[in-house]
Order: sequence, then structure tokens, then C-alpha cells
Amino acid sequence: MQQVVCKLTELQPGELKEIQFGRISLVIGRTGAGELFAFSNRCIHQGAPLSKGKLCGTSAPTDLPGQYSYVKEGEVLRCPWHGREFDVTAGGQMMSDPRRALGRFQIFVAGEDVVVSTLNKPEKGEVADEQK
Amino acid sequence: MEVKQGQITDGLLETGIIDTDIHERVLYPDLVPYLDNPWRRYITDCGWIQEKHLPYTQPTVAGLNRADAALPDGRPAGSDLAFLRSQLLDELNIRYGILTGALDPSPSSMNGWHEMATALASAYNDYQIEHWLEKDSRLYGSVHIAAQDPLAAAREIDRVGPHPKMVQVLLPIDNIVWGDPYYHPIFAAAERNNLVIAMHHNEPAVYFGRFPRYFIEWHTLISTAHMMQVTSFVFNGVFEKFPNLKLLMIEAGFTYVPHLMRKMDQQYRDLRHEVPWIKRLPSEIVREHIRFTTQPMEEFSKAEFEQWLDLLGSEEMVCFSSDYPHWDFDHPVGGFPNMRDSLRQKIFHDNALALYPKLPQDQGRCPRCSRSFASSPNCNQES
Repeated sequence: MQQVVCKLTELQPGELKEIQFGRISLVIGRTGAGELFAFSNRCIHQGAPLSKGKLCGTSAPTDLPGQYSYVKEGEVLRCPWHGREFDVTAGGQMMSDPRRALGRFQIFVAGEDVVVSTLNKPEKGEVADEQK
Repeated sequence: MEVKQGQITDGLLETGIIDTDIHERVLYPDLVPYLDNPWRRYITDCGWIQEKHLPYTQPTVAGLNRADAALPDGRPAGSDLAFLRSQLLDELNIRYGILTGALDPSPSSMNGWHEMATALASAYNDYQIEHWLEKDSRLYGSVHIAAQDPLAAAREIDRVGPHPKMVQVLLPIDNIVWGDPYYHPIFAAAERNNLVIAMHHNEPAVYFGRFPRYFIEWHTLISTAHMMQVTSFVFNGVFEKFPNLKLLMIEAGFTYVPHLMRKMDQQYRDLRHEVPWIKRLPSEIVREHIRFTTQPMEEFSKAEFEQWLDLLGSEEMVCFSSDYPHWDFDHPVGGFPNMRDSLRQKIFHDNALALYPKLPQDQGRCPRCSRSFASSPNCNQES
């Protein structure tokens, strides 16, 4: 399945957008540097709509307690409910547990259009209730 | 029934869900019409607002609240009934929702000026009844009091407690442990008005009367503040003195409870003589008199969840709560493991129904035709 979801001009760097891809709600966006990403719009924790979250940065891991270094501005998708962080430049990995990731879709530019596709099988993120 | 994350809640329970922790948000200007002078003038002229204590923000997308619960016009989450109906009551098939306020203002948390606290509690109650409880049949309320003055608090309970939609008296958890006999007039008033006592933390100083360095520490340790209150109620003999009283502990989850019950039992076996008014194991008192809300849920597998209930020794002690619209909201499907139908029915509905005697005790069935409200929409006009 492949679908034009918007014009590239309608999705500026740093923006998030909710789109309907067939019957699935997706969150698409562009990092601060302009890189496109597309994920399932459901947080793998409790199902919150990620498009209502925030594309932001985060504090870099450090070996020094008390040291803060704000990094990855525009590359971290923060859930609107519990605040979990997902690295959109690393396949939607959950930053507190990289073994878990958002459901991921292909996204690319064709001419002026932004296209989402499952032509290559989407990488399915771990779902929170797999072990339930 | 297998219920997966993402499934809508319509089919979750035929009875619908009882949510024991919904934070309606009142703004100070909302209370002004319900205050007499001089209290009104201290707000309108002097700009008084209640002091808060936490040194941190709630480090989430939108602070205290879910980012998607803010109103489109910019008003705070939880301040509009129509929006709350749509996003919570209708969407999640909530049959009854218990309002617990925003804890700001929280009259019982004021460190002084108890006369203002008493006036504020009365105003809050009148506002809550008019703007929330009498506007939606699904919503039930909490009596707010200024518990620092127990006799004035008891008078307020007697004033608004008989309202048919008031189901509990709310006490904050901050820097007072409420089991002390000084506060027992409050429990006498609750008992004679058929009301539950409910406790919800506000901003307790959980580090030896102070605050830990980081919010993540404070939020992790909230259950310790709840443990103090449960211990205080049990060993001060509140339930021996008021045998019909029930207590609901809101928003510390339930996983701390097996440890606390076992610890109190062990202490009782050794030290009973210090509290001779306690005549049975503390765990028996807790199982009979105290209920605990689910939120904030840790992540459980189905097996882990069942193990924890085994440790409680009861499936009747835990009641679903969402904490809407706060950031650590729990979704009734996404936040829970799959579970047996009978257990789901208890946690999401029956346990809370049994706790609150003032809720309609009809098991979700129309008293006229005996059909479930869910399967018979024409009967879905309760109260």
C-alpha cells in the first residue's frame, strides 16, 4: 500500500502531523534537520496519540550525576501522556529501553509529495501487551 | 474476553466502568460567586491563591496534564464539562465517575488561615454541586473540607454530605497524618452521612519532611506517604471506633499494600500491647475497610497482575481509576494486562460499587426491565 499524504511544503522541519493511512492513524513529521519519519500514532505504552506529543530534544546520557546536556533537538518524540521518549532518528526506539520501538512505516518524497508506504514490510514495533 | 491494547472500551464491560479519580478543574474566579466577604475580597482585591510546595515542574509535555486534554480555546484541562464528557465519560464508557478536584485549592492543605480554608471548602462544594454534579448523571462528588478545624469540617460534611451525589469526604495527603483522634469528628460525620473517606496526595514532603532532589524520586516515593496514612488509620483505631467507615487511598496504586499488611501484622504480633484497642490482625482491618485505586499502574503481565492480587489476599480491594486529565492517566485497556472476565468486572466496576453505598446499586441493569443499560440504550437514562 502506498499513499500520498501531503505536500512537502505542508510539513516543515520540526513539525508533527497526524494522517490517516488506510485504516491506520500515523504520526508523520520532520526532524529539525528536515528528515522525514512515519510511525504508528499509538504509543506502545498505553496507546496515547503521539501526534499530540512534542518533537523536542532531551538530556544526553552522562556518567556524571548532576550534569545536564540538552541534545537531539527536534529528534525526540515525547508522548503526550506519560512523557516517554522515542528517537525518531533511530527507528522510533524508546530511549529508556531501546529494545522497544514504535511501529515504523516507510516515508519518502516523490516530486512535491510526501508518500507513506508499506511496500517494504513495515517494521513492527513491540506492542505493550505482547506479554500480557 | 480477550481485550487488546487499542480496542475501544464499548465492549469492555456490559455495566460500564466506574472511574474513582477524575480531576475536575476549578479556577479561582469560578469560586468567587460562592464566597462571602471578606473571603471574596481577599481573592478579587489581593490576588490570593493557595501556596504550593513542589520545587519541580512535572517534566512532561504539558506539565500536570495530558497534552491532549487541554481545551482548544486554551483553558486548562478538566475545566470544561462538555470536553470531559467527550474525552473521558463517553469515549471510555464511564458509568460513574467520582470527582476528586484539582487539589488547587486544597483547603485541608493550607498551613494556616483555617477560616479562609473553611470558607473555600464550602464555596468549592457549592460550585461542584451546581456546575458538575447536577449537570451530568454520571458524575458523583467529594465533600471538600478544612480538616485542620475538625469541628468546622464536620459541620460542612453535615451541610453538603446529604446531597445525593456526594459520596465521599476528601482529605489530602500532605503534612498531617489523619488517624490522630483530634480528627475523629470528621470520621464520625462521614459515617453518619454514609460517606467514604478518600485520601489523595497533594504535595507531601516525602523526604523526612523535605523534598528529594529530583521529581522522579518524589513521584516514586508517593506511596510512602500513603503508607503513613494507612498505618495511622489502622493503629489509631479509626475503624474500631467507626466500624462502618471505609477508606479509599487514591493514586498510589496497590503494589505497596501486600508489604505494608505483612509488616503491620508482624509488628502487631510483637507489640499489640501498645495499641490494645486493636483486636485483630491489621491485614484483616485493611481488607475489610480500605480500598486502593489502580493508578498509577506499573506494567504487568497477566500472570504478574494475578500474583499481586494473590499477595493482597483479595480481589475486592482494588478499584479502577484513570486520574484524568493528569499526565499519568491510565487507560482502562492500554494500561492493563488482559485478565479474567470476573476479575475485570470487579476491578473496573463492582469493587467501587460495593465501596460507595450512595451509588445506585443496580449492577448496571434497568430496575424496570432488568436489561443491561449497555444492551438497552433506551434505558440508559439513570438517576
